[in-house]
Amino acid sequence: MKGGAAQPGNLVAWVGMGVLLAITLFPFYWMVNTSLKPQSEVFQSPPTFFSFNWTLTAYGRVLATRAVGRYFWNSAVISVGATLLAVGLSALAAYGLSRFRMRWERPLILLLLFTQMLPGTLLIIPYFQLMAKLQLINTYTALILAYVSFALPFSTWMLAGFFRSIPLELDEAAMVDGCGRLKAFWRVILPLSLPGLIAVGIFTFLLAWNAYVFALVLTTDPKMFPLSVGIANMMGEYQVLWNEMMAAAVLATLPVFILYGFLERYLVQGITAGAVKG
Amino acid sequence: MERAGGLRRERWLGYLFVAPMLVFLLGIILFPLGHAFLTSLYREAGVNIRFVGLGNYARLLDDPTFWNSLGVSVVFTVASVALHLVVAMPVALFVNGLRRGRTTLRLAFLTPWMVTPVLGAIAWVWLLDPHFGVANYLLRSVGAISENRIWLGEPGLALGSIVAVDVWRGFPFIMLIILAGLQTVPREEYEAASIDGAGALQRFLYVTLPHLRYLLVVATTLDVINTVRTFDIVAVMTKGGPVNATEVLPVLIFSTAFQANRFGPAAAIGVVLLGLLLIFSTLYVLLLQSERRERRI
Repeated sequence: MKGGAAQPGNLVAWVGMGVLLAITLFPFYWMVNTSLKPQSEVFQSPPTFFSFNWTLTAYGRVLATRAVGRYFWNSAVISVGATLLAVGLSALAAYGLSRFRMRWERPLILLLLFTQMLPGTLLIIPYFQLMAKLQLINTYTALILAYVSFALPFSTWMLAGFFRSIPLELDEAAMVDGCGRLKAFWRVILPLSLPGLIAVGIFTFLLAWNAYVFALVLTTDPKMFPLSVGIANMMGEYQVLWNEMMAAAVLATLPVFILYGFLERYLVQGITAGAVKG
Repeated sequence: MERAGGLRRERWLGYLFVAPMLVFLLGIILFPLGHAFLTSLYREAGVNIRFVGLGNYARLLDDPTFWNSLGVSVVFTVASVALHLVVAMPVALFVNGLRRGRTTLRLAFLTPWMVTPVLGAIAWVWLLDPHFGVANYLLRSVGAISENRIWLGEPGLALGSIVAVDVWRGFPFIMLIILAGLQTVPREEYEAASIDGAGALQRFLYVTLPHLRYLLVVATTLDVINTVRTFDIVAVMTKGGPVNATEVLPVLIFSTAFQANRFGPAAAIGVVLLGLLLIFSTLYVLLLQSERRERRI
């Protein structure tokens, strides 16, 4: 009854939502459906919505003939690397922001907001020149450093919010017990803010996993392509084998969906808490 | 700030905790940003690079490609953001009103936002394929079109298709924010309104909307900032074509820099884009402040 739009008797609302949900999910069904079709059926007209010939051949072929496994590995290394660094750095910074009075706190927060707003297509120009000079093109380092920096402002802000909800007395008690500042941080604050750390971790992992333009510019060697660049590159070919293409896309999407399935709660909590507090 | 009073003497320690993050932001974002600004003052001429001051900016003023991109960006952003809201609002109200299955349905509606933008866009290229695409087939079956359309091959259609894909990808996030906001609307107000004889529409207009106003301003602004910067979807689906019809500013910046190798002019367009974002977000901050003052009264 709350919003008024969803009374059980309100048939129009239910039908409308049903249609919208179908449109929302249909592309995913079509990805899976196409990926399971044998080559001969992909270009059949009219298209088949359900087939008794479903097979995993396209998956086998795309893994055998393309470097999808390698792309997967690259994406994993970059995303995990960025996640670990971002969680560590933002936790330290958030602790500093939430536990100490700082004269420069306001400018610092403005700086965080400002960096959130920069267009990636502008930043990639000087970043590319810089990485070329440092001979870091085609390295994980170049991408990890970039993604960590993009993730830091939001992560720090979100974690600072979590830390503020932990009473200061807990730190003080730990310090009275003979812990130093760092130890109090490690022993008391971090375990208590595990949901926040998880949220920041998923946020960074997905940011890195989904990123495109930086990798597009900073990797030229196919061995170093992450999934986004590697799969997008398959589009440029003379004839696209859509069942193999969709098989690759499904494989690349699986980890993301699995992560969300388990951890959506944390991420939604983190994001919406930030947004509502404003 | 009161509660941090006891730790005042350790003020410098706070900076020590923040320092590692700052090093990253300064080294990897702000230093390159300054460098980009410098780059925008130079122009490549053959193998030489010469200083042209604001020459690159002056040239933009009568560069039709730039104005075209600015126009495309404005149309794309306004259409996408408006439609994000139009789709997200009823979905959020519906999901929020459910007694059971709220979490499941929220997750289902969130899926387009979770998938890697590049991969979502690739799936749409296949759905919209002019000959074998299922979109043409379905639309023909229901009689919406009489013959196959080349969705990404005609200027107006291509821009429309890009907007449609961005709406698909972008509305879930707005829905999420509205859902969070709906939790804060007090139940009693709905009940009071119902007793006064308000219908569903009136309850929405006079109870829900006023409570959500502040949140909607925040969400719309963030959405504008994100949508203006959209690159992935367009780069994958049309690369800015056909004949620049979908060439939003980020795509123009990218192609100017990395296909035409004109870093100076590309950086100049980027700085203009950043300027627009800055103006917009300043307005937003001012709006928030006045809104907050109003709330306090």
